[in-house]
Amino acid sequence: MFKKILIANRGEIAVRIIRACKEMGIQTVAVYSEVDKASLHVKLADQAVCIGKASPQKSYLNIENIISATVLTGAEAIHPGFGFLSENSKFASICKECGIEFIGPTAEMIDKMGNKSEARKTMIEAGVPVVPGSKGKVRDIEDGLKIAEEIGYPVMIKASAGGGGRGMRIAYDKEKFESAFNTAKSESKKAFGDDTMYVEKYVENPKHIEFQILADKYGHVIHLGERDCSIQRRHQKVLEEAPSKVISKELRDHMGSVAVKAAESIKYHSVGTIEFLLDKHGHFYFIEMNTRIQVEHPITELITGIDLIKEQIKVAFGEELQIKQEDVKINGHAIECRINAENPEQNFMPSPGRITELKLPGGNGVRIDSQVYSGYMIPPNYDSMIAKLIVHDKTREEAINKMKSAIDELEIEGVNTNIEFQKFILNQDDFVEGKYDTAFIANHIG
Amino acid sequence: MDIGIRKPSIPEGLWIKCVSCKETIYRDDYDEKFNICPNCNKHHRLDVRRRLEITADKGSFKEYDANMTTVNKLNFPKYTEKIELLEDKTGLNEAVVTGECKINNHKMVIAIMDSRFLMGSMGTVVGEKITRAIEKATEKKLPIIIFTASGGARMQEGIFSLMQMAKTSAALKRHSKAGHLYIPVLTDPTTGGVTASFAMLGDIILAESGALIGFAGRRVIEQTINQKLPEGFQTAEFLLEHGFIDKVVNRREIKEVLSKMLEIHKGGKR
Repeated sequence: MFKKILIANRGEIAVRIIRACKEMGIQTVAVYSEVDKASLHVKLADQAVCIGKASPQKSYLNIENIISATVLTGAEAIHPGFGFLSENSKFASICKECGIEFIGPTAEMIDKMGNKSEARKTMIEAGVPVVPGSKGKVRDIEDGLKIAEEIGYPVMIKASAGGGGRGMRIAYDKEKFESAFNTAKSESKKAFGDDTMYVEKYVENPKHIEFQILADKYGHVIHLGERDCSIQRRHQKVLEEAPSKVISKELRDHMGSVAVKAAESIKYHSVGTIEFLLDKHGHFYFIEMNTRIQVEHPITELITGIDLIKEQIKVAFGEELQIKQEDVKINGHAIECRINAENPEQNFMPSPGRITELKLPGGNGVRIDSQVYSGYMIPPNYDSMIAKLIVHDKTREEAINKMKSAIDELEIEGVNTNIEFQKFILNQDDFVEGKYDTAFIANHIG
Repeated sequence: MDIGIRKPSIPEGLWIKCVSCKETIYRDDYDEKFNICPNCNKHHRLDVRRRLEITADKGSFKEYDANMTTVNKLNFPKYTEKIELLEDKTGLNEAVVTGECKINNHKMVIAIMDSRFLMGSMGTVVGEKITRAIEKATEKKLPIIIFTASGGARMQEGIFSLMQMAKTSAALKRHSKAGHLYIPVLTDPTTGGVTASFAMLGDIILAESGALIGFAGRRVIEQTINQKLPEGFQTAEFLLEHGFIDKVVNRREIKEVLSKMLEIHKGGKR
């Protein structure tokens, strides 16, 4: 096994990875920016290296400094976590060139899945259902209009390089198409420096269902069931649960095998997630693959008993996957609430600052993945997520009750948080009854 | 699996440090072809070979006076050795290469200076080769384009070096009188006697982004006039703003810009 791993990330995911490494007897190297000096991941790691100034470009995205830190500390592998460099194929290939194992897929796989129109093409070839739409990039408005006419309105106009909802617009009819297309295009050019666009059918009020994939370097691919991530605000996930209430055993097996097929088609290895849209009629469509560990991975860990980070490290080292598909059993129900330092009253504006008091819930089946502690200063430079509250119980009903009780115990003083907003979601009848889709937040908040 | 056996290390040449912005650039991100820093857009100096590659149509270049070499007429100490060393190092005979070529099918005479050779300084051979190239252009009724890169007159050749300024300028005057086009492209650095002669005599004067263009150096001027010079003094952009040159061009676009100008002016004087 690796003797030493460098974690090229910060926050709760860095803490999560360091913990897994400790359990595996692997030494850890944390990297941090100047403002993260007092962060938990820095304290927990065996070694820590400052890699630059607060701005992500200067630190957590600074490939040169991260590679240098790895070589200087003698780490053999880099775990990129999520965000930052986790889906940066250039980083993966530089690691390879330097003889450092990138704990994730190869640069080629990242490229294949990172570009949305490319990924779509690959999936069509592999026989994976995709949302009907343009075969490749859309050249111009005329081209786009023709395609929209063919697949029928409403349509979604998307940037090939897009993410996080940027460079994305819906057109409900022909009249609205042109302005939606132009806005999405210019937004994409600004945000990603690329304005390659494609058009697809807009699946109205779908559920966002994703399948967790685990694969080794010898072609063994399994799925660990689904996560329902439909509770989203502006395409940002807020609350996730597993399994999904609307997915039967048969549908899970079917979607799962399609997800496995999708991963196999690119000879994928490492952990990954295949995201689908599921409509009212039970039709599902591939939307994208995330070639990294995800924020919401703990709910899958709780219902399957499989430690995804440990498995990811093992397959990266070159171990063969010991778990077979038939070994994967879904046990009970898990829910995750993302706790963000933000102000829901003020359009969810980030709320950095010092945490003056912190009371964390506990008990059987309650898990908290977080980097915060009492007195911790949340810097304004990064994502506002400060904790993940995760619960596990036998049934969905019990899990919801457990989450309600746990979140009631959670107290964070000094900064604004979305705790009350999460409570609001948990108390909606539609949520409790499992009748919700990606429009849930928009419909309940307005 | 052999993973973990090889000790991680950074292979040579993985990073390129930009001397201008001091940033480290990943080799594959660096624009080798044009030698432009992707971070600060600094146009680093190009040698003759690469300049020809990005300017002339492939296989169209025919060199003039390839064998003309320098003689140490003033017996300047160590000058001959210096020249020989540079000949070996650069594969050039002198600081300028002249000839004719095509740019997008437009035939023209070209002269390219190379700052690696005694900082592109103008001695007898440089002046003579440029003069002959201009005369060839006049004779063949072709436009001439000169890519300048020079520290100025060559100290080791004293007065012979300064004479080249008048000689090249006179040749250009005859070229102009005959009604033919001359476009200098000022690249980093264009200074001293070259600036004071053929570099500034173009019908249209182009300069590469960020190039240093001047006569005396900044420090010399500051110490002489006892004044602080403004920000960006002697850059291509500064000169454009003050009316010394006609256009600042990104190196990636130079071929297209030149090609357009050659197209517009192909009629010559009527």
